[in-house]
Amino acid sequence: MPVEIPKDKWPGSVRKVTLGATTAEGGTRGKTVTVGGESSLPFLHFESETPCRPAVAIEIRDRRPDDWSPLLIETWEEVIDDPAKWAKAAEEAGADLIQLTLSLTDKNGNPNTPEAAVANVKAVLAATSLPLIVFGPGQAEMDNALIVPVAEAAKGERLLLGICEDKNYRTIVATAMANGHLVNARTPMDVNLAKQLNILISDMGLPTDRIIMDPTTGALGYGIEYGFSVMERLRLAALQGDAMTQSPMLVTPGFEAWKTKESKVGDGVPEAWGDWLKRAIHWETLTAMTLLESGADILVLRHPESVRRVKAAIEELMTPA
Amino acid sequence: MAEHLVYFDALTEPVRVPTGTLLAEAARMAGLEIGQPCGGQGRCGRCTVQVLEGNVRRRSTLRLSAEDVAQGFALACQTVVEGDCRVSIPPQEKIERRLTTDRTVSEITVPPGYNYELDQTIHRVHLSLSPPSLEDQTDDLSRLLTALKQQAGFTSVSTPLPILRKLGEALRAGDWNVTAILDVHDLFDGRYIEERLVDLLPGRVPQEEPIWGAAIDIGTTTVTVWLVNLLTGQVEAQASEYNGQIARGEDVISRIVYASKNGGAAEMRNLVLDTINQLLATVCQRYNVRKKDWESKASPEQIVKATIAGNSTMMHLFLGIPASSIRLSPYITAVNHVPLLSGQEVGLNINPLGIVDCLPGVASYVGSDITAGVLASGMDDTNRLTLFMDVGTNGEIVLGSNDWLVACACSAGPAFEGAGVYCGMRATRGAIEEVWINGETYEPTYRVIGGGKPSGICGSGLISLLAEMFMTGVIDKAGNLNTQLGINRIREGEYGLEYVIAWGEETQTGKDITITHVDIDNLLRAKGAIYAGYSVLADSVGVPLEMIEQMLIGGSFGKYINVEKAIQIGLLPDMPWEKFQFLGNTSVRGAYYALLDHRARARIKEIATRMTYIELSADNSFYEAFMSALFLPHTDLNRFPSIAQALKSPASAG
Repeated sequence: MPVEIPKDKWPGSVRKVTLGATTAEGGTRGKTVTVGGESSLPFLHFESETPCRPAVAIEIRDRRPDDWSPLLIETWEEVIDDPAKWAKAAEEAGADLIQLTLSLTDKNGNPNTPEAAVANVKAVLAATSLPLIVFGPGQAEMDNALIVPVAEAAKGERLLLGICEDKNYRTIVATAMANGHLVNARTPMDVNLAKQLNILISDMGLPTDRIIMDPTTGALGYGIEYGFSVMERLRLAALQGDAMTQSPMLVTPGFEAWKTKESKVGDGVPEAWGDWLKRAIHWETLTAMTLLESGADILVLRHPESVRRVKAAIEELMTPA
Repeated sequence: MAEHLVYFDALTEPVRVPTGTLLAEAARMAGLEIGQPCGGQGRCGRCTVQVLEGNVRRRSTLRLSAEDVAQGFALACQTVVEGDCRVSIPPQEKIERRLTTDRTVSEITVPPGYNYELDQTIHRVHLSLSPPSLEDQTDDLSRLLTALKQQAGFTSVSTPLPILRKLGEALRAGDWNVTAILDVHDLFDGRYIEERLVDLLPGRVPQEEPIWGAAIDIGTTTVTVWLVNLLTGQVEAQASEYNGQIARGEDVISRIVYASKNGGAAEMRNLVLDTINQLLATVCQRYNVRKKDWESKASPEQIVKATIAGNSTMMHLFLGIPASSIRLSPYITAVNHVPLLSGQEVGLNINPLGIVDCLPGVASYVGSDITAGVLASGMDDTNRLTLFMDVGTNGEIVLGSNDWLVACACSAGPAFEGAGVYCGMRATRGAIEEVWINGETYEPTYRVIGGGKPSGICGSGLISLLAEMFMTGVIDKAGNLNTQLGINRIREGEYGLEYVIAWGEETQTGKDITITHVDIDNLLRAKGAIYAGYSVLADSVGVPLEMIEQMLIGGSFGKYINVEKAIQIGLLPDMPWEKFQFLGNTSVRGAYYALLDHRARARIKEIATRMTYIELSADNSFYEAFMSALFLPHTDLNRFPSIAQALKSPASAG
């Protein structure tokens, strides 16, 4: 007996957003990355085509991080003190995008400066041909102080700029508008807050195809169900035609997974937890895969092995059965 | 270009202007000042003029009804001259009354057909007793009871000890003429009539002498007392004051927590008793100052009946009944239907035997303020689908008609009563009650209750201010102040960012009146909770908001509410303005009706029995709705089409 698979036909779709600009487009990137465009729930190829494959970014820092797991430090040891080299290594590890996080302080504990931020961003841009995501340290005032000069110095590159939140969005959006960049609209795990920030940003006049939503999430075992549900509901709203939820979604499973005890700590944990490195990579990979299934368009990861596995999984998921 | 003559009725000479000149401009050229608080954007309607004859073109009539336009009314800032014309400028007060958006509190009138003899439970009778003698050795009480039976028909009067104590003197001082005040209550639906002697006054009290009663609303934030002459039903004086318990917590939960601490319950009880007793003295004083020297005065001790409405927590704290179970699941009150009490037991400074009637509530979070409110609104007696909301510290919402009633409650906080806001105050003299902000200069214009200099801002002022700040872009849709406007009114203050409504030199205190970003957040939360409350309630019974035929609003944020602005901030749903009616303090009004008429009192009991309570915390739909309402006007702009339209095409665009 033939079984008919029920198909949903949605009135809305996710917006396509392009990160990076080639020389012809006013930037210096060797390639651009376009995400979004879905018109069904993730990977339901029988319902509609998934025009863009989810992109994987690798997170790098402008200096050796103080609070990263020794496993990560060990992995990137050779490049960790030079963001340009680190970016290059990340590209070689298979990243589609580079995500550079600017630190709050330099290695001596002095506040980061706009000059240093600009120099680091320029060095990274020169070292890789991939589109770049630049996040400030995550303190509204410091983000504004560092991101604005970076945006001006990299005018036309279609950088994805963050952290752009409820309290500082005006500054970040204004500089993105003036310098041809994109913004990463971050809200704390709530459908309404995500939509509201999108409205606020659009109200300022930034074209909607330059907005990425960052709904934030939790790691496996640390509230991922909640994050999953928020993303799923955002995606359903987008498919139902709500224009203010139709931005592609960026999530940071690397950041989330590597701050869990299971990934960060190797000593003094139950033996049943098994091999530390294996466990940590599983944790990051599973967190990323779960979010992928809830509609993530950009996944920011930290470990090259997780990147390899997640990319392989995306490859499989993108192949219609 | 053609030129035309414009005649203003205030002037003898016309002014000559080219075609296309705005009437406002023509008036200025003629030397007349027309107020334009909104900056000539056609938003406020304060520049309304009447075109008596001639040719004009109205670019926008946003503020005016079709009837107004037919009568020649036009907005001077939106109307251009296209021929000779004659224009009248009405006085400002008249304009304000013409505006279609303002909903003034309906007047308090004695319920039609009020008949003291038939409706009132309090009775005053004059008795002439035959004096005792050596032959007639009947005791004083028997003599009185016989007279009550024979001369007034009361057969089973109870006489509490205080009456016995004053009995002998009262009878003799009036030379065996005495005036008795009784309360006759029909308990248990007619199966038992209780006749209680409340007071005994020597001699014959003149027929027209008032019998005093009080209607009292114990709000979480505001307490209101009305002094009522039970003989005529007339409200003779009113007074409100913040509940003295405020200092021990702004919402019911923190009050309950405080009261559960050692000695807390007694302290809370005394605080609210002090507030009420103070107000009882105030209303009497307000009545007395209107009286001539030789006329008799009112005093709280003469009040023989007080009817009290309030939410369940307030009622418990007022009576000194432990309230902690209200706060804890499964949220049960000690008592919903309080028996009749006396002034002395309760601690009110009224006649010690005066009747204290606490009206019945439904549940922990739907008290008698709402059952009384439903009565006052009349929604239990209409076949039109009605949404009634009492916008107070707790937003209580009732949906239904004469068929069915469902109710819910949500915590809105005291912001709309002017409390918990940096420069907030109650809606009394000196409070800013309406604000307009010029869309270009961001300069505010405001109106103060009683004229004069402002000393703060009340609930209706805050609603209007929030709407204006939003519509002009002083704040964004999330309520953040826009620091990029380059105006000195937005500044970093002691409590963070703030907007200056009035500079020190304009105010009564000499200090700037401001609204801080914390205040704005509080207001957003308050309006979000109310919106979420009624939308979830309507949802839970499957009624789309559009189906609601009338919206009745109660609350003590001022004597009127500007419906348009309340919609702009998303407090009220986007509906045709004529659906809204503002009832003011419905709780005290309901208590007043119950004070006068025992049938109204019975109806409140029936309402309490009929009403179905819906617990909003039962699932997460309220939280979801609340989060989406924490935005101006709402995260889903499709719910507010008129605001979407206004944001898209400001009237200034022509």
